[in-house]
Amino acid sequence: MTDQKPRSQTILVVGGGISGVTTALEAAEAGYEVVILEKAPTLGGRVAQLNRYFPKLCHPTCGLEINFQRIRKNPRVKVFTMATVAGVKGGRGDYTVTVKTTPRHVRPNCTACGDCAKACETRVPNPFDYNMGETTAAYLPHEMAFPMRYVVAPQVIGTPDADKIKASCKYDAIDLDEKEATFELGVGAIVWATGWQPYDANRISPYRYAHIKDVINNVEMERLASHNGPTHGRILRPSDGKEPKKVALIQCAGSRDYNHLAYCSRICCLASMKHAAYVREQYADATVDIYYIDIRAHDKLEAFYRKLKVDPQVTFIKSKPAEIKIGPDGGPVVCGENTLTRELYQTPYDLVVLATGMQPASAVDRPAMEVGMDDYGFVVPALDDDGVFAAGVASGPIDVSMSVQSATAAALKAIQAVSGAAR
Amino acid sequence: MSAAKSTGVYLCSGCGIGEAVTMGELEKVVTKEFKKPVKSHACLCGDEGLAVIKADIEAGTVNQVVVGACSPRTMTDRFRFPATQVLRSNLREQVAWSHPAGDEDTRMMAEDNLRMSLTEAAKSTLPEPKIDGEYSSVVMVVGGGTAGLTAAHEAAQAGHEVLLVERAAKLGGNAANWSKRMPHRPPYRAIQGNDIDTLIATVTADSRVKVKTGCTVAKTSGMPGKFAVEFSDGSGATVGAIVVATGWRPYDPTKLGHLGYGVSPDVVTNVQMEGMLSGGKVARKSDGKAPGVVAFVQCAGSRDPDHLPYCSSVCCGVSIKQALQLREADPKVMTYIIYEELRTPGVAEEFYRAAQEAGVIFMKGKVKSVDKALTVVVDDALLQQEVPLAGVDLVVLATGMVPNSTNIDAPTPELDEEKLRVLHNDVNPLSPIKVAGYAGEAPAPLPAPPDTLPEGAPILNLQYRQGPHLPMLADGFADSHYICFPYETRRTGIYTCGPVRRPMDMGETAEDATGAVMKAIQAIRNAGQGVALHPRAGDLSYPMINLNQCTKCRRCTVECPFGAIDENEASYPQVNETRCRRCGTCMGACPVRTISFANYSVDMLGSMIKAVNIPDEFDEKPRILILACENDAYPALDMAGISRQQYSAFVRIIPVRCLGSVSLLLISDALSVGFDGVMLMGCKPGDDYQCHFVKGSGISRERLSKVGETLKSMQLESARVTQVEASIADSARLPKLIDAFVAELDGFGPNPFKGF
Amino acid sequence: MTSVSPTPTRKYDLSFARWVYENIDGGDRMAMCMQCGTCSGSCALNTQMDYGPRKLFMMIRAGMKDEVLTSNTIWNCVSCYNCVVRCPRKVPVAYILHDLATVAVREGYAQARTEETTKFAKAFIWSARTFGRTDERLVSVLFYFSEGISAGFKKLMAFKGIAFNFVKVGRLHIGLPHMIKKRGELKSIMAKAAEIEARHGGASGEK
Repeated sequence: MTDQKPRSQTILVVGGGISGVTTALEAAEAGYEVVILEKAPTLGGRVAQLNRYFPKLCHPTCGLEINFQRIRKNPRVKVFTMATVAGVKGGRGDYTVTVKTTPRHVRPNCTACGDCAKACETRVPNPFDYNMGETTAAYLPHEMAFPMRYVVAPQVIGTPDADKIKASCKYDAIDLDEKEATFELGVGAIVWATGWQPYDANRISPYRYAHIKDVINNVEMERLASHNGPTHGRILRPSDGKEPKKVALIQCAGSRDYNHLAYCSRICCLASMKHAAYVREQYADATVDIYYIDIRAHDKLEAFYRKLKVDPQVTFIKSKPAEIKIGPDGGPVVCGENTLTRELYQTPYDLVVLATGMQPASAVDRPAMEVGMDDYGFVVPALDDDGVFAAGVASGPIDVSMSVQSATAAALKAIQAVSGAAR
Repeated sequence: MSAAKSTGVYLCSGCGIGEAVTMGELEKVVTKEFKKPVKSHACLCGDEGLAVIKADIEAGTVNQVVVGACSPRTMTDRFRFPATQVLRSNLREQVAWSHPAGDEDTRMMAEDNLRMSLTEAAKSTLPEPKIDGEYSSVVMVVGGGTAGLTAAHEAAQAGHEVLLVERAAKLGGNAANWSKRMPHRPPYRAIQGNDIDTLIATVTADSRVKVKTGCTVAKTSGMPGKFAVEFSDGSGATVGAIVVATGWRPYDPTKLGHLGYGVSPDVVTNVQMEGMLSGGKVARKSDGKAPGVVAFVQCAGSRDPDHLPYCSSVCCGVSIKQALQLREADPKVMTYIIYEELRTPGVAEEFYRAAQEAGVIFMKGKVKSVDKALTVVVDDALLQQEVPLAGVDLVVLATGMVPNSTNIDAPTPELDEEKLRVLHNDVNPLSPIKVAGYAGEAPAPLPAPPDTLPEGAPILNLQYRQGPHLPMLADGFADSHYICFPYETRRTGIYTCGPVRRPMDMGETAEDATGAVMKAIQAIRNAGQGVALHPRAGDLSYPMINLNQCTKCRRCTVECPFGAIDENEASYPQVNETRCRRCGTCMGACPVRTISFANYSVDMLGSMIKAVNIPDEFDEKPRILILACENDAYPALDMAGISRQQYSAFVRIIPVRCLGSVSLLLISDALSVGFDGVMLMGCKPGDDYQCHFVKGSGISRERLSKVGETLKSMQLESARVTQVEASIADSARLPKLIDAFVAELDGFGPNPFKGF
Repeated sequence: MTSVSPTPTRKYDLSFARWVYENIDGGDRMAMCMQCGTCSGSCALNTQMDYGPRKLFMMIRAGMKDEVLTSNTIWNCVSCYNCVVRCPRKVPVAYILHDLATVAVREGYAQARTEETTKFAKAFIWSARTFGRTDERLVSVLFYFSEGISAGFKKLMAFKGIAFNFVKVGRLHIGLPHMIKKRGELKSIMAKAAEIEARHGGASGEK
């Protein structure tokens, strides 16, 4: 370790989900300059797309609102959206980071008045709803988008609709010619908070996710249950829009599996129990079967499991389903062996939700720098005196509360790196 | 504020505001009624618009700005000017975007919003921070185990002086007795060495860390930046923030007779097993022989409503580790792990597989009994039969973790009911799952866990009016504002970490301790600058009490969710500013309106209410006051506007810091000036509360239950005043609720007080 | 290494399980089974099995040797490999079942209850050894008549229709059995296999 003062005291946080935002704010509120880079057009990451959190069944946007207010009030936090790291040079206390931005086609002076969306006729799949619904090609990502700025989808650029979008803006905020760009940042520490993505259910071929409309994954379930989702919060079967009365929730869809994600994603058991609560909230006569290997309601979350177990309309079945067959009506039929009774079942359902696991984003888009990673693709920086840290699910499969802990800890490590106090 | 207040008003006609209302009419409200200068611009947030405001500020003609434009939740960075108070009148989301353009009612709403904002401006000033004397930057860490040592090390590495206090004679805590530890670094398979000795050595060698062993905290008073601590050895110190890392103790195995503890000497706990492993010799107590067959009984006490209702999280991993250690030492040893649910979440799944590969046998089932001959009777879930597991030489009970949220070695103090209140389970973790209400019949609730108060002395012995304990959650774990802000407790500047907060392993504990230190350092910095902490981070205002009017009723000291207000010798309330979270619950509690903030007061809110023009009863234009929680309900109303949902233009919306800050006097004020109804919108109270100030919305509901009397005395229907649970995701629901309330009030006819 | 599996004296006596782990092809991976049920659920013939592979593995752990080696599960595997492909712990389920069947034959557990399957296997291996190919006609005839002349004729008649249909669509040929070219090499391969098997403590089922 050196006594040399770090050249930059700025902390770079890569990723603007709950972890990145937390790291940034905790450091900024202790007096440090922070830059957040977010790949998407808005902050909030995966949690912004969730309906509720377990076990309190409160809304993630509630905590996000507080965090966004903290960012708004804190001039020490700089946010770049649609920005990723293209390269890193240097070391602890003195990194030069090349940032790549993709075009939003909307300038910062956008007032979010919405005229462009009104003028636009082209509709594109809505990424916020995991493409379950559509949005206009000029769109506000969601009603709590931060920064509250519109986006023009690349699909519309070069079409007559693009000109209409541009003409509709009273504030000259549309920039159809915006191109990919890069710029450099000098920072003293880097925190990877790049989060996760749902494991691709298509890879679990026996579950026929692509072939049966009423087989969905757990993040899609969150959007169905969200008031601002494609069904305005009503859980409806994608095939015919009917109310599902018999629902299966399948755990470890991809997790704990050498063929897919070898680790346990930790959150899925509890998320599925939350989904059971969603269904039970909406439909009095609905039944929910939860297929599981082990219910991992660790620590105090056990209470959530206990609460759900008393519901006679929720059944826990210890079995990893072998296959989902296509029923005579085209609906899903879940097949497998109940490991406690040895019964073989072939049970038809109205809706099947696959509890797909969390795959680290860093396993798919490798960080553009030398950084320690485990075999799964989680970022595990070396223990020696480096200025690179990981926070949240980028560091391992953990839940939101643990992510906030991890992010707060990462903020301190980053502060140690940029303050030069460590010895 | 030194300079006289000179207010400038700036209106924006962009984003549909100009189409919804006539700017000239709005300007007239400002100039005619309030005699203030006003300027309108087609795009106030643009560079040109901002230049107009900046020019006035730089010219010195304006030092308080009222912006009539979009919601205060947007363009915050642009409408920020140095040393200038900025107030925002929401004309976009809550007027132009949620009400028909060109309509008379829309115009009246916009005008009233401006009147309210101008009144707010008149009744508030730019807050100046209270900074008073010296602030300490020392971090005190209580507990010298894994959590405490890590906290001390990390705080020192961030340049802070640390005072580490440990009850025992030696540092190291439980970890000092551990042989090895579970893996927490890739590839997550191999058992790792116990590095606690290295950590102890590092911490004790650090000149920035002062260690006190064999010592406990006798008393803590003061507030963040100025905690005055007395110790059991008679010494004292002033510290800036406190990290509580008191850890855990094993569950009392004598309560586990049904699992053979005490029946045979060869039934031991996992902690005793760890002792044998670190001693280098694993032997049966009965005959001193090395065991050839070892059975580990999981959930010994944990996940059992009669013992510990929660899962202790680490026991599965610990048993795996111990079984592996036994097999590494002697591959002939047979090890069985008898479990109900095997919990190796996350990357620990790899550790489970490593154990399977090494030949550890896993049996899924519940242990029914263990007898003197060490026959372990297992209700084998997979064989569906009762299996007497015979020939076992040693039974290891995987006992769980009990949080050290008190010091059980010291006597339990006698405390009055009020001071014990923070220890009652005000939240039932087993309350039935209820979101917006179960469809159909909800399952019967599980019985609430018994409300037992923990034994032992308080860890910090806080000299707070609300008692000496840190608030606890169910099951005795230390307070945590779970999920989004896990470090936030109801005692500002005091952060808990490690297993006192939640069962967790050493890897997670170290991370948790690092996070708690981050919060402590932040608390120290902000205390010294008079800046509020979470959730109103950055707020410079603080409660001021005019003691001349105070009646010593103590409501403020009792109701403060954060125990920020003490009573002095003369029984007057005394605010400890750096403990305060600025929710204003004290202000809402005060019956004589004598608690106020520079920019927030009962007088201010009351004047805003009175600033609304109330049409007379023949106009058939009712007026409904909505006091909306600024964290959730108000944003939800904004989002209703963003998604262009329409609702009645008869409502007038005022954001409040928390419903806890709403004084009942405001409600009678509103009704006596002719409002036809009042709707309070706040977060969900009670079990699974969602209030950022923990109790605000609950307190409001309690207060409101008493408003019926007042209404009766005014001969008004009690349904004219209501509190609704509003979440931030209610942008579609709130417009409907508003319209339904307006319709309901319509049935009562106009408020007879109109025009008085 | 023992060639005969030990018989446990009580439940969860691991002697048999250990023997299986060490002596069965893929047995070392069997310890990785987490009892999820994917194998039994995926099995093409699961309705024809008394225990299914998942429970059979549990019974091995529990030391239930007699039940395991008399189970029909080990015989009814048709090697569709669904279990092997889908097992989240990469346990080679089908291989283990096959090897357990060999053990069952060798240790005399298979005689009574799996006579048919054993006889079919014998007929099959005869054809394979003799021609280097399976001749369905000869394998069937040998299998049918393995239970006596009259039983053989009865079965032959019962399957006559199917056989003619097969001939019609070219699935059964008429004439001499097809043979591989270098049958001598096959012979040495088989001899080598038997030698390897013997060296590993097992004995060829054919002997």
